[in-house]
Amino acid sequence: MTTPTQPLPRRITPANVLVTPLVLLAALGALFWYLSGLELDDIERRSINADTILTHLWEHVELVAVSSVLVIVIAVPLGVLLTRPALRLVTPPLLGLANIGQAIPSIGILVLLAVTVGIGFDKAVLALVALAMLPVLRNTMIGVSTVDKSLIDAARGMGLTRTTVLLRVELPLAVPVILAGVRIALILNVSSATLATYTNAGGLGTLIATGVTLNRLPVLITGSVLTAVLALTVDWLAGLAEAALRPRGI
Amino acid sequence: MGFGDYLARRWEDIVLLGIGHLQVVLIAVGIAAVIAIVLGSLVAGHPAASRPVLAITGTMLTIPSFALFGLLIPLFGLGVTPSVVALVLYAIFPIVRNTVTGLEAVPPEVLDAARGMGLGSVRRLVVVRLPLAWPVILTGIRLATLMNVGIAAIAAAVNGPGLGKLIFDGLARIGGANALNDTLAGVLGVAVLALVLDLLFLGLVRMTTSRGLR
Repeated sequence: MTTPTQPLPRRITPANVLVTPLVLLAALGALFWYLSGLELDDIERRSINADTILTHLWEHVELVAVSSVLVIVIAVPLGVLLTRPALRLVTPPLLGLANIGQAIPSIGILVLLAVTVGIGFDKAVLALVALAMLPVLRNTMIGVSTVDKSLIDAARGMGLTRTTVLLRVELPLAVPVILAGVRIALILNVSSATLATYTNAGGLGTLIATGVTLNRLPVLITGSVLTAVLALTVDWLAGLAEAALRPRGI
Repeated sequence: MGFGDYLARRWEDIVLLGIGHLQVVLIAVGIAAVIAIVLGSLVAGHPAASRPVLAITGTMLTIPSFALFGLLIPLFGLGVTPSVVALVLYAIFPIVRNTVTGLEAVPPEVLDAARGMGLGSVRRLVVVRLPLAWPVILTGIRLATLMNVGIAAIAAAVNGPGLGKLIFDGLARIGGANALNDTLAGVLGVAVLALVLDLLFLGLVRMTTSRGLR
């Protein structure tokens, strides 16, 4: 999927902390109720059973977890590096390039890698990392470079070294913006991982693709509902983490 | 066969797919813009109404596109209809958000003046508030369009129209002679389409912005 460029405005209140899980549980309940009222045929039973579903769910979570960790490990330091005075000149063209790259659809990157490098889990992770890098990179750069210059001057005036200023002042102040980027990257990864089934990397998209190809609505619906529930759960958890990790005083 | 030869031989097909791609995106954004601007005009200035509207339409963006296409197949079958409906659902949030933001940024003095001139609430909206908010609304429409150009590539997975077909052709022919050419043509086609639309929007902003705002 393409990128929502700004974090969705959401506040943590007891109501919306609880509403999301209740809605998601209701969706799962409705799915279960729908499936239990059906006579599944052989082909459907091959896809709709606890073993298969959990395997695909696990593949999906693994794809998202591995690629998200890699994105954070690569994009945050890179973003910080690009805001240092020595590298500031290359920043605008790099961001411009990255913005053009954003127009390339996720399925395109996945298939391009599959055609040129090969298929499987590793290649899918590579594609996911490439797709989700931009929001974290951009938010890190924006977060660090928009820290109030007078605060940096004050910290330098107190005798802190540049490194200490970065670690103790600039990065903590940039945390909310960086976290917003990470949340977007997570959602992007859940979304792109749905398509990883086309390059033999599994995931819940397998159920959707099977449902479409074999024309089996129950499989299709199970896959789609579970994928949507997973995405909304990840977003909900990321929202909670975002609120919890925000440094106090901001 | 090199990419150049491939393009020379297949350009007619590629252009046709590109036109199909453009059509679903524009139809979807058009429908979404009408829905979103009406919805945004109704809720702007009333946080109790605008907050849930933004929360619900924003949540749509979280749902992976492949899953949303999948959920729409039981309702609309395969092909063009589920593709357009999915794209409409994705396009509503950016436009509604920008409509609300744009309308709420209209200075109260301007509204007072309009009221003093005897304009009713509908005419105030159509003649004063919407034209003033238009640049912001148009930014939302542009964002929605660019986003949809990318998402529409996935429509091919549910037999939808567009350049995504080339990408899935490439996938089906992995190891074959034209796998890379097909995929590249699909991917670059989508990127070029996005770039062209972005430029068109720059022109549209200049053309449609009220003269007093330029």
